[in-house]
Amino acid sequence: MSAKHYTFRIQRNRKGPDGRIASRWVDYPVSATETTTILTLLEEIKGDQDGSLTFRQSCRSAICGSCAMKIGGRTRLACKTHVGSVANADGVVVVAPQANQPVLKDLAIDIGPFFERIHKIQPHLEDGPDTDAVLEQSAYDQVNHVTQCIMCGSCYSDCVMAEVTPEFIGPAALAKAFRFVSDPREGQKRRRLEQLSHPHMMWSCARCAMCVESCPKDVKPMEAIVKLRTRGLAKGLDAGPGPKHALAFHQDIQQTGNLNEFTLMMRTVGILGTLEELGTAFHLMKKWKIPSPLPHKSAGLAELAKIYEILEEHPLDVETKAKEVVPE
Amino acid sequence: MQSHDLIIVGAGLAGMRAALEGVKAGIDVAIVTKIHPLRSHSCAAQGGINAAINPQDSRDSHAFDTVKGADYIGDEDAIELMCHEAPEAILEMDRMGTPFSRIEGGLIAQRAFGGASFNRTCYAADRTGQVLLHTLWEQLVKAQVKVYEECSVMRLVTDREQAIAGVVAYDIKTGAVFALRAKAVLMATGGYGRVFLSNTNATTNTGDGMALALRAGAPLADMEFVQFHPTGLRTSGVLVTEGARGEGGYLINALGERFMSRYAPNKLELASRDVVSRAEQTEIIEGRGINGAVFLDLRHLGADKILERLPQIRQLSLDLEGVDAIHAPIPIRPTAHYSMGGIRTDKYGASPLHGLFAAGEAACVSVHGANRLGGNSLLDTIVFGRITGSHCARFVKGEKLRDFAASEVAAVKGNLDTLKSRPDQGVRPIALHHRMAAAMNLHCGVFRTVEGMREGVSELPGLREDYQKIHLDDHADDFNIDLLRAVELGHLIDLAECIVRGALAREESRGAHSRIDFPERDDAVWRKHTLSHWDGAKGEVILSHEPVRTLGRAEYAPKVRTY
Ligand SMILES: Cc1cc2nc3c(=O)[nH]c(=O)nc-3n(C[C@H](O)[C@H](O)[C@H](O)COP(=O)(O)OP(=O)(O)OC[C@H]3O[C@@H](n4cnc5c(N)ncnc54)[C@H](O)[C@@H]3O)c2cc1C
Ligand code: FES
Repeated sequence: MSAKHYTFRIQRNRKGPDGRIASRWVDYPVSATETTTILTLLEEIKGDQDGSLTFRQSCRSAICGSCAMKIGGRTRLACKTHVGSVANADGVVVVAPQANQPVLKDLAIDIGPFFERIHKIQPHLEDGPDTDAVLEQSAYDQVNHVTQCIMCGSCYSDCVMAEVTPEFIGPAALAKAFRFVSDPREGQKRRRLEQLSHPHMMWSCARCAMCVESCPKDVKPMEAIVKLRTRGLAKGLDAGPGPKHALAFHQDIQQTGNLNEFTLMMRTVGILGTLEELGTAFHLMKKWKIPSPLPHKSAGLAELAKIYEILEEHPLDVETKAKEVVPE
Repeated sequence: MQSHDLIIVGAGLAGMRAALEGVKAGIDVAIVTKIHPLRSHSCAAQGGINAAINPQDSRDSHAFDTVKGADYIGDEDAIELMCHEAPEAILEMDRMGTPFSRIEGGLIAQRAFGGASFNRTCYAADRTGQVLLHTLWEQLVKAQVKVYEECSVMRLVTDREQAIAGVVAYDIKTGAVFALRAKAVLMATGGYGRVFLSNTNATTNTGDGMALALRAGAPLADMEFVQFHPTGLRTSGVLVTEGARGEGGYLINALGERFMSRYAPNKLELASRDVVSRAEQTEIIEGRGINGAVFLDLRHLGADKILERLPQIRQLSLDLEGVDAIHAPIPIRPTAHYSMGGIRTDKYGASPLHGLFAAGEAACVSVHGANRLGGNSLLDTIVFGRITGSHCARFVKGEKLRDFAASEVAAVKGNLDTLKSRPDQGVRPIALHHRMAAAMNLHCGVFRTVEGMREGVSELPGLREDYQKIHLDDHADDFNIDLLRAVELGHLIDLAECIVRGALAREESRGAHSRIDFPERDDAVWRKHTLSHWDGAKGEVILSHEPVRTLGRAEYAPKVRTY
């Protein structure tokens, strides 16, 4: 394979005397074959062009979680991303630090806030009443994907919910929580699910699947979140807008095959909550976007009933049809 | 000045396991680590961890395999201790929550590894180190151990009586240099793979703990024994686990021959690592490789088995070599992997320097002797992490804090400032590192010659001189990785000197140390450990030797090692 010319457009960040970060973009030319990793080239730039370029890295093999950064607009591990897969048509590769977290210097972020979120879910097995005696491979098979997590922060950096709601605990912490809720040895499954039902925890995810796409280790955090919710509901943890919304949704579909969006809001956040949202409602009305208040039934309700019957007999754990993580 | 009873330097498996023991014993223990604990290189261990947990296996057989694998230079008391403690150590990790792979009935699954007479390597798919590391970190969080994260230890401090008084650390995030007093310091800083140009190690594996101990007056042992792993990826050196051969993978040369039948007719691909690495190197030297590599062939295992048992390996080969192991053989070559040598300790992890302990890859206990068996080093970290941790806890109970001179902090600051402010004399740190590491690969690799090693020794003064000229681009205080790497390079040069001097002195071939001019093992003269000491007056490393700790058992008597 022959070498090509690329331009690394790197966001250089420096803390000024006032403690604030000043950013500028600097271009670095490199030449490399398409399958050279971004990390190799960042090292080359640091070694030969500017030793002050700062980023974290260690293992070089996608297992230590140090080198997650924004590459070509998405968060990826620099050590497993091929330059050819992220350069634009002009050979430009845009590199910036992870989002949703404070920047320290150049591409290095403060990892403190990310790990504080992980600490919040008590990331360790607990003794207690819920322990099962026998450990089988099958028990591991269902947590297998979450134990692949290397805490690189990619999912959090790309999480749209974290972007608008910094209090959101985030996909990585929830995936970690799922790992314990599903472990036969865990003794506090119920207490964990109660905690996870609090605001800004599992019900705050918007299920956009960005985390599933960003994850370099195929952890599928959103799938873990959906499973956590199912388990919470199964334990009767249905207080709060999240579960209410899910249950109302469920009820509509089961009874009519359609969503009654007009009453959905009321059933989710109650009358007071709905009043708070009246402004939005008027706005929607002006644009002819307010749904009809009258419930109408879909054709094929009988078939739907059958689907429900089957599901109740064989409850499935949800598998999201996440895009297979293809090698870059 | 901050103080603790025990300071553990390093948050890999050995460091974290030791810390938990300190907490259990009720002492004030803190960890200092230059990277977040979960970034420690223990996470990269793929294949597994040995323990005789199957009723048909035995601890004695594990000990015998280890004595033989070590080529009769491991300390037998420590080997027996490790192999006997192994099953309990694994079951304890299991109880803490490690998701080991299972067989039917829920027992921990085990696979074949090189040099073992039983399938005794427990695993979690091909990411055993990662799950062990995450489990110990979880326990560390639970125990609320104080961790100085992203702080690099720059100096070991002793008092007038040559006893440990603490460390000087450097906060990478802010650039602050600070003192930490302690009654004991435990080095769990891992290996020094970066001494070699082609290696399987993380860029942070710079053997800091060994170099700091050496300079503080503790001897390092057996530094000439460097394990070259038979299957590093051709371009990056990144590792393909021995588990791939344990699962049935073949090694083939450019002609498609399974060449191991000529070198180890019984064990074939699963002979001991030193044997396989030499076989590969011979194939390459004799022209039966392609671009300096031979091949690991997994194709006959089929897609299902590869995806279930070796998913990470397939992905790594795709990411780093552009080869899909399901359809094509993976280009591999022998690559520097593991340091059998390290800080000399007894079987409780105590070094001869009062108050200094070591565990894990940074230590030479010595359970690995001249050649480590695959799956024994994760075990070493867990078992000796525990033993050394509890031994330290007992030790500090009878100790007081020692005098810690304020000038120690000033001296470290001074060094860092000098490095930062040096004018540009045309020596870039990366170029100097490259020069040293390339020389080590050339002169101290799989096969060693007297001329090569002499050449290596003669390059040392020049390297040290140029080290005094390196110039940094980054002059900032905060997050100055440029500066950190310059300090690490100093450590690497010290360790390179220990390795090459030890190798030149050892006039025999044993385990991973293979000399063209002395192809045989010489038990009469050389069944002994090499100790390296820093001679401050001369400014160089000097050597001495020490007998192996043997137990006099008939089955441990040295024999010709065949596989
Ligand atoms: C790719 C690879 C695969 C392997 N596979 C296996 C396997 O399958 N089975 C097996 O048994 N062994 C395997 N090994 C070997 C084994 O993984 C290591 O020997 C072992 O994990 C080392 O653990 P440790 O705790 O001693 O050090 P590490 O895990 O390397 O941790 C070192 C710690 O020291 C800290 N540190 C270093 N310097 C400083 C400083 N100056 N100041 C502060 N902190 C510092 C670091 O931050 C880090 O936390 C493998 C090794 C490699 C490289
Ligand atoms: S360097 Fe470890 S994940 Fe990239």
